[in-house]
Amino acid sequence: MRNLWTDEDTVEFSIPGDRNVEVLGTLRDDPDLAFFMLADAAAVDYGVDAHFEVVYHLFSWKHPGWLRVRARVDRSEPRIRSITDMWEGAMFHEREMYDMMGIVFEGNRDLRRIYMSPDYRSFPLRKDFVLPDDAADSPAAGVNPLERPETWDLSHFREAVAVTFPPSDLRGDAPGEGVEGGDFADSESRPR
Amino acid sequence: MTRTDPEPRIPDPIELDAAEEARLRAAAGLVPARPESGGEYAGFDQVGIPDRPPQTDREREVYSLDEGEMLINMGPQHPSTHGVMRLVVKVRGEIIVDIDPVLGYLHRGIEKLCENATYTTVLTYVDPMDYLSTMHNEHAPAIAFEKLYGIKAPPRAEYIRALVVELNRVFSHGLMMGFLALDMGGLTPILYSFINRDEIVDMLSAISGQRMLFNFFRVGGVNWDTNDEFLSRLGTWRSRVLKNIEMNEDMITGNEIFRSRTIGMGTLTGDQAISLGVTGPNLRASGVPFDVRKAKPYSIYDELEFDVITHEGGDSYSRYLQRIAEIKQSIHLIDQIIDKMPHGPVQAQVPGIIRPRPGRAYGAVESPRGLYSVYAISDGGPTPYRFRMRDPSFISLQALPKLMPGRLVADTMAVMASLDPVMGGVDK
Amino acid sequence: MAVDRPTTTDAHGNGNPIVIPDQAANDELLREFGMEEHPQGGFHGLLEVIPTKADYILDLIRANSLWPLLSGLSCCAIEMMSTATSVNDIDRFGMFPFRASPRQADVLIVAGTLTTKMAGPLVRLWEQMPEPKWCVAMGTCTTSGGRFKRSYSVVQGVDRVMPVDVYVPGCPPRPEGLIYGMMKLHELVKQRRGEWRTYVDRGPQRTRWEGDVR
Repeated sequence: MRNLWTDEDTVEFSIPGDRNVEVLGTLRDDPDLAFFMLADAAAVDYGVDAHFEVVYHLFSWKHPGWLRVRARVDRSEPRIRSITDMWEGAMFHEREMYDMMGIVFEGNRDLRRIYMSPDYRSFPLRKDFVLPDDAADSPAAGVNPLERPETWDLSHFREAVAVTFPPSDLRGDAPGEGVEGGDFADSESRPR
Repeated sequence: MTRTDPEPRIPDPIELDAAEEARLRAAAGLVPARPESGGEYAGFDQVGIPDRPPQTDREREVYSLDEGEMLINMGPQHPSTHGVMRLVVKVRGEIIVDIDPVLGYLHRGIEKLCENATYTTVLTYVDPMDYLSTMHNEHAPAIAFEKLYGIKAPPRAEYIRALVVELNRVFSHGLMMGFLALDMGGLTPILYSFINRDEIVDMLSAISGQRMLFNFFRVGGVNWDTNDEFLSRLGTWRSRVLKNIEMNEDMITGNEIFRSRTIGMGTLTGDQAISLGVTGPNLRASGVPFDVRKAKPYSIYDELEFDVITHEGGDSYSRYLQRIAEIKQSIHLIDQIIDKMPHGPVQAQVPGIIRPRPGRAYGAVESPRGLYSVYAISDGGPTPYRFRMRDPSFISLQALPKLMPGRLVADTMAVMASLDPVMGGVDK
Repeated sequence: MAVDRPTTTDAHGNGNPIVIPDQAANDELLREFGMEEHPQGGFHGLLEVIPTKADYILDLIRANSLWPLLSGLSCCAIEMMSTATSVNDIDRFGMFPFRASPRQADVLIVAGTLTTKMAGPLVRLWEQMPEPKWCVAMGTCTTSGGRFKRSYSVVQGVDRVMPVDVYVPGCPPRPEGLIYGMMKLHELVKQRRGEWRTYVDRGPQRTRWEGDVR
């Protein structure tokens, strides 16, 4: 998944995780490169047996297109140096990456959870955190009888339907019968 | 006959300094006013914000109190209209010493939900993020997905996109004016802002079917073409909008109270703003001419004529004036778009469930709050592999702890309103 | 309490019984902590007592001046504000003052998605509101979790944490829809059909140990 196609207005390259500070520092301080703005810092999980990646997007007046720097982070020991010394605005990005993926940023003075409660024990955006198939199994739920069709009492269903679709002399017994073309005058718009 | 005072009396504590007060209290046999510090809870206010030991340096810095300081919780429910955010404010008297924003009260897990949804469904999941600029929320992923799929939207679709996006910008900035005045106690401008918003939103509901979370963009174009009702409402609105905006402006801009509460308040220099990651009108009000529509033109913005507006000053007043100027700029852009709109189809031919080539794409737009961008990774399947949104309000909130120390508590909401965050975007 | 509660199998068909909770177990737990439901608290049932003219007028007064609490959480809050402002005006129904303090509010219009982190503060707001109080779940996120159905941090419907009187579906509901919901609430108020429960706090109950004499 590493060497895939990328969009044509972005220049992208990968670096090992421990060199992120020097690479980003050079990109920012070099007068010809002058990537002064950090547009985005994101984390990607490439799978349970693969690695993480911290992806930085940078902008410069002197170059067309965005620059994407991908720093590879080991999954078993997800640590990388923090860039909050260079851009203070990376603080919230890194807190979010820690909260969602569990990547620890060394040198970040405030690495705590930002979205989830401080005592939350899992990292939601990892690939081994699977969203439940049945909503009632999700950790945010309880049991709501209305969402369990097996608890519905259908013994009065036919009467309830008859109130909404009253039998009339033009109609047959079930909805859809009787009038030519069905319930809908325009037969093309009849649901099939 | 004189009598000596039977009980030793301690003078009024306001007149003492801390050491003397402690000495006198100890001499009188009273318990110490503040429990001895030490151990894990060193420096924590015993009232209990928060009720567990500090985990990080910054937390320790914020939650340890010197003499005379106090922690106030501007809790998730407060009369300001930005949504659910909690600010733990450390004050000395009425003056703020430090702020710790606690976020996450609206975190809905949209990024994770999008990884399990098809590309078209993703465009509906992103709507309620920054719910005041829904069209921008959909525009960025549409750009990223079109890059991944390798198609371009037809020109009429691009013009319609730009039209609704600018309309969205107009009403979002109009609402900011109302919220700024509301957070300072002025209850009337918000009514004018909502009148304007309701007109625009009725217009957009004629074209997209929805009043707020318009599910309008598709990969490869937009969903519906313009219709008679939309165009007639657009004409009516256009003939009235400048006067409405000016009415609102007159009420606020020259107002003595408003001026004294915003001029010189919350000043961000250009370098500070860039370092903090602030973008959008907040950055341009500090003098940096960065506008994504000019810096990295997308859609049809390179065919339209407009300048990047900046203001010097970087205070709340400049941010307010910047947004008014951008409203007028957007109206000018809308005029040009309506002039130049070509005929043609509004949606490219794409299958229902698209499977783009495996790859990475980055799409960035200029939302009313700043640079809103989407980084999407596709693995060739029907759902995105990773869908990441960078929300501008989230990053701009980092400016608040840097701007507020030294100001009064009542100015917190005013400065925050001038930064115009929307909690849906902050918390995703 | 060995009460035969209805059970069913879970949706995956594994046969594990799921006990559908009813209020009895909740009451038992609350009683352990000293909270007991007040026998005359709340308006239970349809016109439990024969209303006098004074009661009728009192209900009319309550219905026509329901003061909402400013509890806008997310997108539905903007539509609630739109309902409150000039174009769709609920001031004509008496609901102009959106109180900031729960102590002064009658109705809690939960407008916006309720997340697990916010559920605690919201329940605390509900408990702080004095009775009689009503709750309106506005929008599909509060009705059933809405578009965030499988999310790990969204409470699937506000009725999992507090009793709801009126559900207003929509994403977000049109202001006219919210006004319709408030009209339904007026009916409820006049018929004394609120869902809130009043508890009496008897203080911490002493744990019973083996060998206790008292």
